[in-house]
Amino acid sequence: MVETVNIIERKVAPSNAIMLNGLPDVGLVGLIATSHIISELKLAEIAYMDSDLFPPVIVLHEGLPHAPIRIFGNTDLIASFSETAIPADAVQPFTRKLVDWAQSKNVKLMVAMGGMPVQNRQDIMEPRVFGAASNKSLLNMLREKGIEVLKGGYMVGPYALIMRYCAERNVPAIALLAESFYKYPDPVAAAATLKEFSKISGLKIDLSRLTEKGEEIRLKARDMMKRTERELGRMKKTQEYDLPLYV
Amino acid sequence: MQERRRRRTILDLIREYIEDIEALSEEFMEPSFVERPSWNARTCCLEPLCSVFVTPDEVIVTADLPNTNPDTIEISPTDADTIEIRAEMKRKIRFDELGITHRKGEFQFFHCQTNIPVPVNMNIIKTEFKRGILEVHIPRKKGYKIKVE
Repeated sequence: MVETVNIIERKVAPSNAIMLNGLPDVGLVGLIATSHIISELKLAEIAYMDSDLFPPVIVLHEGLPHAPIRIFGNTDLIASFSETAIPADAVQPFTRKLVDWAQSKNVKLMVAMGGMPVQNRQDIMEPRVFGAASNKSLLNMLREKGIEVLKGGYMVGPYALIMRYCAERNVPAIALLAESFYKYPDPVAAAATLKEFSKISGLKIDLSRLTEKGEEIRLKARDMMKRTERELGRMKKTQEYDLPLYV
Repeated sequence: MQERRRRRTILDLIREYIEDIEALSEEFMEPSFVERPSWNARTCCLEPLCSVFVTPDEVIVTADLPNTNPDTIEISPTDADTIEIRAEMKRKIRFDELGITHRKGEFQFFHCQTNIPVPVNMNIIKTEFKRGILEVHIPRKKGYKIKVE
């Protein structure tokens, strides 16, 4: 079978690591959270993703070209990160490849950090974080850590597919979803997911820089948010507001 | 072994044709996404992210205005179905602070115009500004009611 998405490794990726996924979604919550972890822990670039399904875009850092979707890591943490909106047409092969790759690296826990849009977000000082998991023992782990579990409803988009493919392939996976804005970058929600991730992973993450730079992040993230919103519309993301039908 | 391709029937062709039309119409009907910069260096303005919600009683326009001094926010109806939002930032932002070093310029204002999709009464506008998000409430014009017998 011809691969439509490829992961090109630049350095050896660790085995048995935790893998975070910072993909563009509502409020850019996971993206902001993962970007913060990458810079706080000084994770190195270990791989990049390539596909004809991705837009013809490179990003320049210090004058040098980089693929916009890259994987970073150290000895026990891996983080996928995208500087471009994932096209709706590419989201299935993209997430399938990501999960295949994670499985090949014996990832011990796949973590999808994201937002859960709520209409009254302006009125919420401290967003609650809800959890979902790929198996029952991980659901229990979330409950033990005091994280409220999402019992029903829809998930739509890259994180939904990561959870689905991980469950199919027995790759342990959790989603941490903070109450967030849909269409506005939400660094406060990102900080809320990181707090919960910190409890689960035992990693100490200094959130002070994220809190201080909140307004700056919101200014910088406007264009990314707009393009992400467009792709989420194509993925029918608003189905997350739908009431599920169980008769 | 390669799977033998099933011969498409006339019904398959019609279904594919309908799917193509649906995909095209979805693209045509999706909210306008205009490919233009979100900044204007000449007017020193950044375009904020905006949303419009229509409820049974009112239209709520929100705008994300980080780094804004709330006293400087101006909201003005420019005609029956458009409002203009303008605000001054607490401090000027240079291009290089936004990660771009090959352009010159700095930004001091947010500015946008938003279309209101249903008839509203622009004379009674209420506003709120919470945690950098502006919320503008505009009451809808009431139509006549039909009595159900």
